[in-house]
Amino acid sequence: MLSESFVASTLSSAKSPTASLRDVGVCVHELQPTSILRSTFKKSSTLTNCLAVSPSHIFTAQADKAVIHVYNREKGNQEAIVPFPERIRSIAVAGGKYGDVLVLGTEGGRLIVWETCTGRQVATTASHLQPVTSLVVDPTSNFILSGSADASVHVWSLPGILSFSKPALSATRQPTNSPIRTFSNHRAAITSLAVGHSNGRHNIVVSTAKDNTAIAWDYHTGRALRTFLLPLSATSVALDPVDRAFYVGYEDGSVQSVDFYRSQSAQHPLHDPSVQSTPAQVSMEDRWLPPSAETGSVKTISLTYDGTTLLSGHANGKVLSWNVARRKYTSSVADYTHPITNLVMLPPGGIPHPSSDLKRKAHAIVKPRHDSGLSAPSHAPGAVPAEYMFHTHIIAPSDSRKPTQFSQALTHSSFPISMIEDGLAELAAFRQPGNVEVTRVSSGTAPAKESPEDAAARDSHVTELENEVSVLKKKVAVNETARHNADDEVVQLRSDLANLQDYINELHEKQEAAQQEKVLRQARKQEHETKKREAWLAAEKKGRNGDAVVQKMDIDDAVTSDSDDQSDE
Amino acid sequence: MSSTTLRAITHRLTTTPVEQLPPIASFLAASLNDCAELLCTPQTQKSGKSDSDNAVQIHKLKTRLASLLQDRSVEGRWTAVILVKATVEAGQWEILRGYEPIVRSLISILSKPDPISTRKMCIITLTRIFHLTYQYPTLVREITTPQLPGFITAALNLVSTITKTPSGSVRKPKPNTPFMEIVLHALLELIPRHITLFRPFGAQLRTLLVEVIGSSSPAYFPDHVIDVAEQLLVSLHKCAPKDQAGSGWKDDCKSTILSIHRTTDHVFRAVVEQWESVDATLVHTRPNYSQEMGDGGPDGLGLPGWSGLHSGVDRLIALLQILSDFISMPSAAAVALPMGSILDLTSRLTSVTVPPNGAVSSQSGIQFNQEISRDEREALWMELPRIHIACMSLLSRVVGILATSATSVTQTILEQAVWTFKGERFNRDLRSAVYALLRSLVPVNGPAMTRQSVVSLTNVLRSCCNDLLPPTGDSSSTGNSGSDSKTKSKGAQGTANADAFLNPDLQKSRRAQVSPFLEVQQNASGLLQAVFLSIPAELVPPSIRAEMDRSIILSSDKNAMFASVLNPVPAVKGRGAGSSIIPFLTRPYADQMEVEALIRPRMPILMTAPEFDAYVDEDEEAEDEDMADGGYSAAPKTTEFLKQPVSAPLQVPKSDDSKTATPVPTFHKRTYTEESTTEEPTPQKQEIQIKKARFDEIISTTSSQQPFSQPAPTITNAEAPKVSTQVSTASTTVASQAPEEEEDSDDELPTLNIDSDTDEEDDDVTMDG
Repeated sequence: MLSESFVASTLSSAKSPTASLRDVGVCVHELQPTSILRSTFKKSSTLTNCLAVSPSHIFTAQADKAVIHVYNREKGNQEAIVPFPERIRSIAVAGGKYGDVLVLGTEGGRLIVWETCTGRQVATTASHLQPVTSLVVDPTSNFILSGSADASVHVWSLPGILSFSKPALSATRQPTNSPIRTFSNHRAAITSLAVGHSNGRHNIVVSTAKDNTAIAWDYHTGRALRTFLLPLSATSVALDPVDRAFYVGYEDGSVQSVDFYRSQSAQHPLHDPSVQSTPAQVSMEDRWLPPSAETGSVKTISLTYDGTTLLSGHANGKVLSWNVARRKYTSSVADYTHPITNLVMLPPGGIPHPSSDLKRKAHAIVKPRHDSGLSAPSHAPGAVPAEYMFHTHIIAPSDSRKPTQFSQALTHSSFPISMIEDGLAELAAFRQPGNVEVTRVSSGTAPAKESPEDAAARDSHVTELENEVSVLKKKVAVNETARHNADDEVVQLRSDLANLQDYINELHEKQEAAQQEKVLRQARKQEHETKKREAWLAAEKKGRNGDAVVQKMDIDDAVTSDSDDQSDE
Repeated sequence: MSSTTLRAITHRLTTTPVEQLPPIASFLAASLNDCAELLCTPQTQKSGKSDSDNAVQIHKLKTRLASLLQDRSVEGRWTAVILVKATVEAGQWEILRGYEPIVRSLISILSKPDPISTRKMCIITLTRIFHLTYQYPTLVREITTPQLPGFITAALNLVSTITKTPSGSVRKPKPNTPFMEIVLHALLELIPRHITLFRPFGAQLRTLLVEVIGSSSPAYFPDHVIDVAEQLLVSLHKCAPKDQAGSGWKDDCKSTILSIHRTTDHVFRAVVEQWESVDATLVHTRPNYSQEMGDGGPDGLGLPGWSGLHSGVDRLIALLQILSDFISMPSAAAVALPMGSILDLTSRLTSVTVPPNGAVSSQSGIQFNQEISRDEREALWMELPRIHIACMSLLSRVVGILATSATSVTQTILEQAVWTFKGERFNRDLRSAVYALLRSLVPVNGPAMTRQSVVSLTNVLRSCCNDLLPPTGDSSSTGNSGSDSKTKSKGAQGTANADAFLNPDLQKSRRAQVSPFLEVQQNASGLLQAVFLSIPAELVPPSIRAEMDRSIILSSDKNAMFASVLNPVPAVKGRGAGSSIIPFLTRPYADQMEVEALIRPRMPILMTAPEFDAYVDEDEEAEDEDMADGGYSAAPKTTEFLKQPVSAPLQVPKSDDSKTATPVPTFHKRTYTEESTTEEPTPQKQEIQIKKARFDEIISTTSSQQPFSQPAPTITNAEAPKVSTQVSTASTTVASQAPEEEEDSDDELPTLNIDSDTDEEDDDVTMDG
């Protein structure tokens, strides 16, 4: 069944919602085919960028406590409450389609990386001077981008942070677990980040800040590609699935789309150096206005799978949907009373998607271990400690195995042709007398071997064997006589053959004779014909009717030819 | 139709003499498959006369099959087995219901002296039946629960002999049995589905499997049999009582690792190992240096002892294989993959590599054990690549199952692979295994790789290029001729390759032969692709990059060339633009879709459209497909939503008022005439002919147009730049109501979408007017 859903989380407020939504902090809402609330998770209150969804779990960083709530999507319950030394201001899931790695941005400006399947936890240096308020992980799961209130965006290498063994040189050049790049074009606090959908080297990221700018830049080089001057300060940003445009939400509840493809230049507009230094002004009038002013500020926005509907979460607890094609508000999808701070679209159900093809599943997370068990052992730096275990449930075999003959036969509508042909060949061999004996004997002794425990059995076995021997002897005798018979038969056949040869020679002679006779007859006929013609000509010459003469001759011939035919026979 | 087929089949089955059935068996089976629909219809729903006739035919068929299975001739039984399988596949639940007697006679065939093929097919059919019943509790109760134990016993009796000991039954494999592989496959297939029924056989199976896996010279089994046996041994943990399923896996996996360490203690006794375990609890065995290498007793897994270096290495490889099965086969419950121990183990095994020729102990970094003879040491060097290949495939499985979550250990794995490669690159299978491992590893951490890691890959990449090139490259032929001339001048012509001299075409013809695409080449090509795609191009040393480009051009490797073109060498300052190998890609593969997409991208065409709506038409289609599939339009709320686009043009702020005036009435009419539009297809087809011509004009004008900001959708006057706007709005309205019309335009290029959509829009006009 084709369906599309999203997860929304709220920040608890003074308002009291309806009974069904009491205590609810996270909602799983089906958008299509019918807009309906599917499930809820309770007791959570999150700020923006504090919700992360993996295939098996939902993680929420709590607004006023230094804890993370972990909800199990499979069981639909709260699985754990994980305390941390500092408040968590943003979280993101890394680890590709499995989502096994959780990245946390703390109030103190550091990142904490937690492998939820092993319980290993690594903290980075506190490179941000202010709380880390937005976090994204790139599609290759290799880079983390963290935006902070200190106006800078750091790029971190995830393998660099997680790897047990670090390449020797880089360790000496810079302190470990520090960002590899810093982007500081913004002049005010970063509000939101959105990363492009490319796995390649030219992926982009769009960052918005309180200085009313949005910058599209290349996080592999740190180069700004284009600066957009927005009419207002954006609170949230989302990128088109094909990276053709981005969408921003504003404090006043309106949203706006900003298209990269405005010009007709043959070059990709973002990679055109001539316009990179010129900021693009985004018009105030182009904003898509909300139905009423009461919706409050846009807290978060998200795009559907096909990129045609934009969802925005608002401070008054409403989720609004906007039609991208018509650039306007469509409808209100849901109302959760409390401010909606996060919206995460789930991959659609019913479409084959790499993210739905999982080889393993995490039923339960492993809480971070604070003991030193998982740091590298002191006597062998860089080695992986023996306690390092990866907790998972393997559900599908790796596809490296080739299909065997057995597996092919098992799912075939009857049996593969090759197998049936082998069987037919074997049956044909089976029908020949000699082979039957061989097979029967070998298969007859095989089960006999299995019961040699007691003497009686052995005796019966011996008698059985003796019987068999006598049977065999009989058969041998039969064979012998058969062979004698066969010899006689061969002699007989040889003489027959000689007779036949003679007969054939005789026939050959006869045939030759007949041939000769035929030739003779032909000659005679021709002679006769000429005679006839001559007679006719002669008659004509003489003035008589030639035909009458010929007819007369024919009558004569008929008599003679009859006799000819008879002689042929 | 299928009912007559069914009648024909039953008739054929009952009238044909049994001896003549086998030749037509496969044909009958195929025909039975055609009647699948009939066979799987529930019989309770059949009421009409023809239906009851079908029921009679099905009953006849079943009865005939049952009697054929009991037939005295082998031909009859042979045919019956094939047809039973065919009916089961075709009829599924409906046929399986009431097949219990047939299952019983199938099992009894196993103990009869029938031809091997009959019994093999019998095993497969039974496996399939038990396999299918798994989903249906009623069938499990009727068929599987009573019959499966009998089948397991019969199948095991085919391949082994049982002896009863005080501690339980012990099974010994029969040597040289044709059934071993098929029986093991069948059990492997059934264990995960019927765990409880297999539980009593767990211990017996284990005794059989350890004999098969540990078999040395007297009872030898081919590799593929041992492979299945290993997988089956790994699956045995599922037979453990329910509460211990997880711990059974853990214990088995742990004892496998310990067994590998124990075997390695013996196999590596010729060297003094520098390796130190991270696990302090690991205890080493002290091998006896005076005796021949060997291990006497059963180890943690119950495998029997072995003796001699070669069988020791065989055992080591089998154990590594079992370990990789543990981490790649489906497990019964959540398990803890001991990553630390596995990497510790591979670190030990890869730390000893073949020293370079003639190296003494101090130079190569490997300390020789002086108590062991030189012969054994050299024998060990010979065996080492085999061990390392098994290690590499184990690590490949680790990366395969962890995927991106392997990040924390990728650097460790990379170091082990590169180190092994350095020592043993002479072995082709090892090279192939290393390529395969790196091929899956590089995408995981390639983008964030450091320069040191990339440089460490240099040697691997260079030999990768060599392996990709055809066996007789240009360099070797020129080198050959050079040496030829030299030897000639020296008068030592006899040593030169006389054939090459006499027949200069020989090399050419040999090169022209299409060499089989070996596994090593496949892996090498895959690795190069991964390197091109994932590793930042500026980190790859230019000389290596040039060599990689050269070898993929020479081997005409399309995918690798594609990867190279998409990730060109970055331009160096002061040297102009970086070069690209794109001509080499387009010459041979110009007809390929991807090449077309790369060279003449369709995105610029989307750009010619004014503003933002340009791409929307494409998206809307995707959305509409979804809607059509999911019954989206059926929902009451969404139909309301779907109607909204109709009024859209009214509210969109337009700069051009004079033009907006025209579409409004047409769009309104569009809404009201919605019912009539469903009968639209006929006029539309006629229209297409006319519209195509006009579209050509549109394209030519559009390409020269400047971007147009928000033109109003006009329909009556087809002015060029407005086409795309029209399209976007049109597709939202029209496409959602008539999804079947979308099928025409789905496969076409975006430009053509504009075409078809325009047609539809104009159709509306014609209809309305």
